[in-house]
Amino acid sequence: MDFASFSGPFLPEIILLAGTLLIFLLDVLHRRRNELVGGIAVAATLLALLFVVADLGFDPLRALSTIPSGQIDASLSGSPLYAFTSLGLVFQAVFLLATLFVSLASMSRPTDERGAPIFYGLLVLATLGMLLVAISVDLIFLLLAIEVTSISTYLLVAYARKDARGLEAAMKFYIIGALSTTLSFFGASLLFGAYGTTNLHAITTAQALGGTGGFPVLVLLGYGFLIAGLAFKATLVPFHAWAVDVYDGAPTDVSAFLAAGSKKVGVFAFFLVFLAPILFVRTSGSGNPFTTGSVALGPVLQVTLSVVAVMTMTVGNVLALLQKEMKRMLAYSSISQAGYMLIGIAVGTAPALAGATLQIFAHVFMKGGAFLVVAGVAGLGIGPLIDDWKGLGARKPLVGVAFGLMLLSLAGVPLTVGFVSKFVLFSAAVQAQGYFIWLAVAGLLNSALSVFYYARVLKVMFFDQPAPNPLPAGAVVGGSEPTLRAAGGFGYGRAVAIALAAVVIVTVGIYPQPVLGAIQAAAQQFVNVGA
Amino acid sequence: MFPLISLLLATLLAGTVATFVSGAKARWVALATSVAFLLEVAVLFLNYPGWPGYSGSLVPGFADNESYAWIQLSWMHVNYTVGVDGISLVLILLTAILQVATVVYSWGEEKRPSAYFGLVLLTCLGCFGVFVALDVLLFFLFWEAVLVPMFFLIGFWGGPRRRYAALKFFVYTHVASIVMLVGLLALVFYSGARSFDFADIYASARGLSSVAQTFLFLSLFFGFGVKFPIVPFHTWLPDAHVEAPTGGSVLLAGLLLKLGGYGLIRWAVEVLPNGLHTTQPILYFVAFLSIIWGSVLSLSQRDLKRLVAYSSINHMGIVLLAIALDSSLGLLAAVLLMFAHGITSALLFMTSGSVHHTFGTRDIPSIGGITPTTPTLSTLIMVGALASLGLPALISFPAEFTALLATWNGIAYWVFIPLGILVVTAAFYIWMMQRMLFGPPRGIPVGAEDVPWYEGAGMAILVVLTVVFGVVPGFLVNVIVSSPVKGFPGT
Repeated sequence: MDFASFSGPFLPEIILLAGTLLIFLLDVLHRRRNELVGGIAVAATLLALLFVVADLGFDPLRALSTIPSGQIDASLSGSPLYAFTSLGLVFQAVFLLATLFVSLASMSRPTDERGAPIFYGLLVLATLGMLLVAISVDLIFLLLAIEVTSISTYLLVAYARKDARGLEAAMKFYIIGALSTTLSFFGASLLFGAYGTTNLHAITTAQALGGTGGFPVLVLLGYGFLIAGLAFKATLVPFHAWAVDVYDGAPTDVSAFLAAGSKKVGVFAFFLVFLAPILFVRTSGSGNPFTTGSVALGPVLQVTLSVVAVMTMTVGNVLALLQKEMKRMLAYSSISQAGYMLIGIAVGTAPALAGATLQIFAHVFMKGGAFLVVAGVAGLGIGPLIDDWKGLGARKPLVGVAFGLMLLSLAGVPLTVGFVSKFVLFSAAVQAQGYFIWLAVAGLLNSALSVFYYARVLKVMFFDQPAPNPLPAGAVVGGSEPTLRAAGGFGYGRAVAIALAAVVIVTVGIYPQPVLGAIQAAAQQFVNVGA
Repeated sequence: MFPLISLLLATLLAGTVATFVSGAKARWVALATSVAFLLEVAVLFLNYPGWPGYSGSLVPGFADNESYAWIQLSWMHVNYTVGVDGISLVLILLTAILQVATVVYSWGEEKRPSAYFGLVLLTCLGCFGVFVALDVLLFFLFWEAVLVPMFFLIGFWGGPRRRYAALKFFVYTHVASIVMLVGLLALVFYSGARSFDFADIYASARGLSSVAQTFLFLSLFFGFGVKFPIVPFHTWLPDAHVEAPTGGSVLLAGLLLKLGGYGLIRWAVEVLPNGLHTTQPILYFVAFLSIIWGSVLSLSQRDLKRLVAYSSINHMGIVLLAIALDSSLGLLAAVLLMFAHGITSALLFMTSGSVHHTFGTRDIPSIGGITPTTPTLSTLIMVGALASLGLPALISFPAEFTALLATWNGIAYWVFIPLGILVVTAAFYIWMMQRMLFGPPRGIPVGAEDVPWYEGAGMAILVVLTVVFGVVPGFLVNVIVSSPVKGFPGT
């Protein structure tokens, strides 16, 4: 195999790797201007995104795929580590979009210049890990790719070295992350014990032919540990507690990246690992499941994941209701959104996966965008409490409208992308019949509940009068009225990123067909691969 | 075909946005928008194939149909589908008329006029959308879009207890909308329709069992009924009316209540005929309760606006009765009544607003003999009251007569309940006029003047229509019966 044919599909990954190395090289050469390294990060991400979209093609089914739909490819018997699937490419595009937004917004951020190359370098490196997750078909490869992302993000959370809260958050993140990695690898080793392979396609084949392969307890335990390990990454209840502290303590742009990008890695890993048993191991064999026999692994996993999904969205929403700080509110809302996404794999049909994928796509713009706004507003010298945002809509109408759109989309109000994604997801759960209808009902009730805390922010922004002295110490008072140019201002790059996110939210909300069509086709192919 | 309905929506949308940002010029922009909208509605009428001038040949289905894909899934399509038939056309005409009248009447609004007129237009946009939407989600979108501007109209421009009233209005109607949405979604998914389009749901709902239809109908009836409002879920209405600014009251009584009636006809009665059939006794009971309760409570009201509000409950009770009859004549009567009530209640709410502006109170016992001071206003109150109590040659008469006739055809002697209540209705209106308009002057503040020109003009528009449609109701009847609804001649 010559280099060109090997490297062709890997162009996006190679571009990101080159970008990372270039940024670190510049750091060594003391070229640390924020605009320079930020520009490289934006350019590399954009270029990679273009290649991914080109691979996807405008006709979604023309996607580059080593696995034809409808069968298990015989050529995969060699246990490859990676395969390009349409859904994987869609996820790559989503990840790259998240990175693009965050790096674009950070371009104009007032940062201590020594930190800039570290920030962008780690950002791009984490993205590289995420791209590898999206193409992995081997458990070990998958977990290692997740590690690449995780280790980069631990450092990202801590990169502002003088910030004690950031360091505390990073420490917490690191310890929890290490634990979850351990759990995941242990689960993978148990599956290896049962099936003799860590290749997901080989496991799929084995499950299609022989269920739990004669080791039902081993397999159950293996998947159990994998649920726990991956649930940490995807911030699912009851493994969610770290997320709020980390999102809250991290620099807000990093929070945006964690919420919009790296946590979706965990969700996609759920898709990869759990679809096969849900599809194929449907019946329990005869005999004692503790010795020989088989268990109905698929239904067991579906019930477990359904319960986790409902718990996650409910706990996230209820706790979000109680928050007084904007970032913590968004963090809890982010947890509840993970619950919605998990519905996709719990139901396990192509429409449900499509709905979850669209929800993840939407989340990049609405939650990522919201964190970017929070960072920008902090740059205007406005405090962290929700009540500090009083009257923002009157003082900064465009920011207020954009943030309002993101919140409305998170709440699932029609004509936003958040509505479309929830509609697709919940109606897919209804369409799947059985007890999944109750997942849709739980999702609907939770959406109704979530309206309260989003609407409260809207009320604070647009209807409450600002406090007599809305500007904290350090704000510059220019002329007769205080200006908003306080702790560094908003920044043009951030304005562009936020405006783009708002435009996407409305455009896809009104005319979702191009995105929706591609995602539907990809999800269908993803399910066909194993069928 | 030319996308006429989309053009109308676009006109209103552009006008609303322009009004919001136009500052001091807002009233002019709002007026221009509503006049343009009225003209386009006229074109919509001329273009309507059911129009007698186009001979008797009818197209099946809806006129000016447009459909574009919105959310296309492999198993379910959600579309932007709009269209009109005779029933929606009449209510669209009502929307256009009330929009112009409200804008003219509110000409003197001083408190943030751009937001006020923008919200008025937005409310009308939502109502228009409800009347043309033929897709469940689109319908729900417009349905909810009506709530928000009305909430702000009451909450910002209302009377002393406006916050309470706005919140109560929002909670009542929002809970009802959720029940309605669940009912509609259950209807779609349970009937196995391939899309959210009215036509698909209409076709696939035929296959539903009687039991399923009954449950779905009841949930839809609750959802739409709170908007009517039906007793015992009516208490939001008097509060909302009393606190709302006059323009808000006009739209609330004239248009928002009609949404309930229209929704019930289009999405419940037409789609679930068996559901209507099995729940008929419940509907009769609720209708009679609303008719009696609204009328008797009207008798005991001191506040003029509250009196008109309770009489609205009475009138909408008759609408519900006419719908529940499940006959083509009843349906015709229901739509006619809705149009008539839209005009007369709007007129009465405008007059009570003017009474409040002129005399500083709406308390009927504390003012009297106002005719010498405000002859124009007195005349307008009289026309409104007489129209509302069903005087022949005014707009309500043909509608109420049709309703009573349909009731007689349907349930025979039960007709004496609404007939008897008509006497009570006449009584409270005449008593009100006697106390307020005639006799020696009482409680009239110094310097009280007759209504300003714009309020008079706004009301005059409605008075003219009251007479015109009272004398020649045939125009409306022809349009309504051309609808492709079972029982009408075209089907």
